[in-house]
Amino acid sequence: MNWQLLPQFTISGLLAGGPIALMALGLVLIFKSSYIFNFAQGQLLLLGTLLTWWLAVGLALPLWLAIVIALAASAVLGLLIERLTLRPMTGQPLLSIILMTLALGQFLQGMALLLFGGTQRNFPQMFSAANPYKIVTPFIYNERNIQIILKQNLVWSFVVAILGVVLIAAFFRFTRTGLAMRGASEDHELAQSIGLRINRIFGISWAMAGVVATVGGVLLATSSGLDLNISLLVLTAFPAVLLGGLESIPGVIVGGLIIGLSQGLVSASTVQFIRNSAEIMPYVVLMIVLLIRPEGLFGLKRIERI
Amino acid sequence: MTLLRPAGEFDESYASDMATIRRPWQWVALGLFLAAIYLLPSYASQNTIALVNRIAISVIAVQGLNLLTGYTGQISLGQAAFMTVGGYTSALLMIHMEWSLFVTLPLSALAAGVVGLIFGLPSLRVKGFYLTMSTLAAQFIIPWFTRNAFPDLLNGAQGLNVPVPVLFGVAINSPQRFLYLTITILIITTVVASNAARSRLGRAFVSIRDNDLAAELLGVNLYKYKLQAFFLASVYAGIAGALSAHYLRHINSESFGLADSIILLGMLIVGGLGTNLGPFLGAALVEFLIELATLAGPFLGKIAPSTAAGAVQALRPLFFGAALMLFLIFEPKGLAHRWQLIKAAWRLRPFSH
Amino acid sequence: MRKHILPILAILLLTALFLSACGAPATPEPTPVPPTKPPPTAVPPTATPKPVEPTAVPEPKGPPDLTGETITIYHFGDLSGPYAAITGPLIHGAEDAVKAINEAGGIYGAQLEVKFSDTGGSVDEAVAAYDRFTSEDDNVLIMIMYGSGEAEALAPRLVEDKIPGLSAGLSSQAFYGKESGYTFGLGPIYPDQIGYTMKYIVDNWTDLKPENAGDEVKLAYLSWPTAFGQGALTDESRAYLADLGVEIVAEETYDVSPAADTTMAILTAQAAGANVIWTNTLAFGPAVILNDLNSLGLRGDFVVAADNWAQDLSLYAFLADPAYGVGLITPFPYLWWTDTDHPGIQYAQRIFEANERPAAEHNVGYLLLVAGVDIAKTAFERAIDTVGYENLTGEAVYQALQELGEYQALGGVFRADYANGSRSPHESQIRMIKGGPDAFTVIQDWSQTPDLRPKN
Repeated sequence: MNWQLLPQFTISGLLAGGPIALMALGLVLIFKSSYIFNFAQGQLLLLGTLLTWWLAVGLALPLWLAIVIALAASAVLGLLIERLTLRPMTGQPLLSIILMTLALGQFLQGMALLLFGGTQRNFPQMFSAANPYKIVTPFIYNERNIQIILKQNLVWSFVVAILGVVLIAAFFRFTRTGLAMRGASEDHELAQSIGLRINRIFGISWAMAGVVATVGGVLLATSSGLDLNISLLVLTAFPAVLLGGLESIPGVIVGGLIIGLSQGLVSASTVQFIRNSAEIMPYVVLMIVLLIRPEGLFGLKRIERI
Repeated sequence: MTLLRPAGEFDESYASDMATIRRPWQWVALGLFLAAIYLLPSYASQNTIALVNRIAISVIAVQGLNLLTGYTGQISLGQAAFMTVGGYTSALLMIHMEWSLFVTLPLSALAAGVVGLIFGLPSLRVKGFYLTMSTLAAQFIIPWFTRNAFPDLLNGAQGLNVPVPVLFGVAINSPQRFLYLTITILIITTVVASNAARSRLGRAFVSIRDNDLAAELLGVNLYKYKLQAFFLASVYAGIAGALSAHYLRHINSESFGLADSIILLGMLIVGGLGTNLGPFLGAALVEFLIELATLAGPFLGKIAPSTAAGAVQALRPLFFGAALMLFLIFEPKGLAHRWQLIKAAWRLRPFSH
Repeated sequence: MRKHILPILAILLLTALFLSACGAPATPEPTPVPPTKPPPTAVPPTATPKPVEPTAVPEPKGPPDLTGETITIYHFGDLSGPYAAITGPLIHGAEDAVKAINEAGGIYGAQLEVKFSDTGGSVDEAVAAYDRFTSEDDNVLIMIMYGSGEAEALAPRLVEDKIPGLSAGLSSQAFYGKESGYTFGLGPIYPDQIGYTMKYIVDNWTDLKPENAGDEVKLAYLSWPTAFGQGALTDESRAYLADLGVEIVAEETYDVSPAADTTMAILTAQAAGANVIWTNTLAFGPAVILNDLNSLGLRGDFVVAADNWAQDLSLYAFLADPAYGVGLITPFPYLWWTDTDHPGIQYAQRIFEANERPAAEHNVGYLLLVAGVDIAKTAFERAIDTVGYENLTGEAVYQALQELGEYQALGGVFRADYANGSRSPHESQIRMIKGGPDAFTVIQDWSQTPDLRPKN
């Protein structure tokens, strides 16, 4: 263990967990309402972010306006996807639905490449790239207090991401629609029988997932740039979702933070092989979760009958 | 297999009931078809032969996936990762031990099978979507391993230059020569897969797929058969991966990625789950679509130059994704099912319903 | 609705057939070819310093008239994958250079053409493209490729099929691996580059060293986990660095993405006591490192050096602030657009302007491929002179490339060195970014790089 780096990597790992939690939230929103695990979430994120880029850089709109328009557009995109591709799949087996979202992901990835080209882009900066925050810790190494250096965008992305998750959690807790959505997630047929419009609820959750994805994408892109591989970053959020529990909104924060922390901790190792494993830590954690507690920390354990 | 048969045709023994090939003319057709494939080098262009090779290798991987996903109902997003295991094993054994392909191919299949078992272990506790995530983990952990573990042996991210296999003193170094190898192996894997599917093993697989709890109550050992399915699927992946590595003569951690796993699953859906014909039809159609994108890319570049950059690479996922979505909505049972319907319609003509 | 799947499939099938019908014939369009004998091209490439005697020319007859013939350059690179930013201009450079040569009379009247295939940065795709090219044409004369991985994987095939390759992926295995031999480099191999640059840094350590650094040069190798990214560290270059007294204290990797986070790699390097960072990547690699060094407030603690592709205009697309680029040191095995008094650069500039390419493509890729096509053209001419057009094969072009020896493309924009078993250049400048974009300032003029080829 590289002790002098441990405080630094612990904190920056936890902070990196913020955007992971936000991406995980998009997945949970859809799963909670419709029991669909959306493998195309990364492409939703990609398209929303590319659109923001195009509006802000291509059309030279102010960044805030570009983000607002892109958020609206990604909500519409979410609605469209639900209506056109997943509504026809109602009642199909799990495999077909998983494959539908995978196919959708491929399709959207190709579309993004066709429309925007494969080059990497510089994304407008939202937080200053200079002037990092410095925290002096009480730990001493080599007769000096260990200092923690935190990039501004890392800190602010974390704040925005956690705020977003809390906002959505509040929406579910305190609004009528939120209540209806929670009710619907318990049992689709029961919800319909008391007059909830289940199709509308599916639509809302997909639209929200689109918005959340775009926020996450913009946060990631503003820290260093945008290319098509940004869609792959959502893959680190899958384990966070499973760790937190598939239906749990507070779970994504815990899941995201644990994934981020695990990546930070292995990075502080002195063994290169272990350091390099930061890349796959989310999936190592995932395998452990699957073997020990498949329903996750806050998920529901389901009982099956014939 | 056969949905409908002409009136008056009955099976008089168990053997004939189980037979895949029922009539003498079917033997003749099969023979002619195989001859046409084996003789491809004498009349087809190298490009066609390369395409047939790619299809054949994909078919082998999809056949394995069919046993796991089509028959047993366990969704795997890691088939390509097990191809990586097979490819590296065969390459390493040939580089360092200088063994012949006859030895390295079975060993690479075995190695992939064992690794497949490890990632199939969570199937003891979880199923459905959770299991999919475990195979997805394989798709990340295995390539990472080849990049980071044993750098002297696996050569890190640079990967390995894979030797050309030499069989009976002939170097298998051209698509033409490779064709004989892939087709021969494909015949073997097809026979094994179809026999596995119609034996006790296959029936156990299907019972797990259709209702695992009921199957367990009926005395099917779930864990044993699930793990066997994982093992078999990975064995097939290992063979396909080894063939592909020797064909491309290069392997690295990116040779078989998540996109390839998705494509293999897509091939299976397009072809038809749980059928012997499915992997062939699916692999052929999807490889054909990919080839179509290769042809259409420059064409699109001419009519809309702004899209020229990367058009081919953009069209491939676009075509594949669109085709898969159309199939899932309109033809979820795949081409093999449609083929059955066509045959049935022909038999019943003129009474189509 | 389900019945519609058949019509859809039928339409797909018909489109496919239609497209393959369109694609197959590839009829060469009758281009208006000037009937005159080839006039001297815009830049007469100066001959090699040591003139190679034409080996036994059969009979001294005048240059042949090849009007109506077409010579194809096969070309593959990554337009849609991670390297797209740099390969886009490479391809345009090749296309525009070919156009200029054709307008100036082609090769003895024969028209050059470029056939391109996008590999998306994947080795499998490159092999498929290779199969397609060799299937369409049984007499492929030359291939141009970019990725280190691709070049390594294709090297044995090029030898087998006797097709020379020009590669901009400069990993040593591609040129000097056991089964290689037909691949020629468009730059010094990466081990030569790191050795050459680190020697310069060691020699000038008192001037270059960061404020808090000691007298020892301690190197952190932070790079991509790819064949390209790891290409500079070989047994030979490690031994050379050890002889220089350079200690490699950290070897870290980061993602092949402009969105990569190098914070942890940098802090690990700092903790290990490094004072020089080498990154073997395209321009967005050093861009993320420089961004992160600045946002961590650690820029003053390190000398940042990189391979030749890093010092390029595309760097500025990824830097958070153009000023972050200042101080980057790289080998520079070609001239730059700002060397406007050089006729070769003027020629490239004319081509660039004539085709109205966007400013973002005014980069190393474009320039290098104008030079690369000049090498190919000169090799073609020499091969035709030696064996005649009817005997022009890949092998003849291979011989011609070797006979070119220390050829100076475009009159010195790029210095090839293909003689005596060398297949990559061994001469380079070193430049450092001083001030705004394009201020790539020479700090070490053309000189010999160390020769760190693998010993097989």
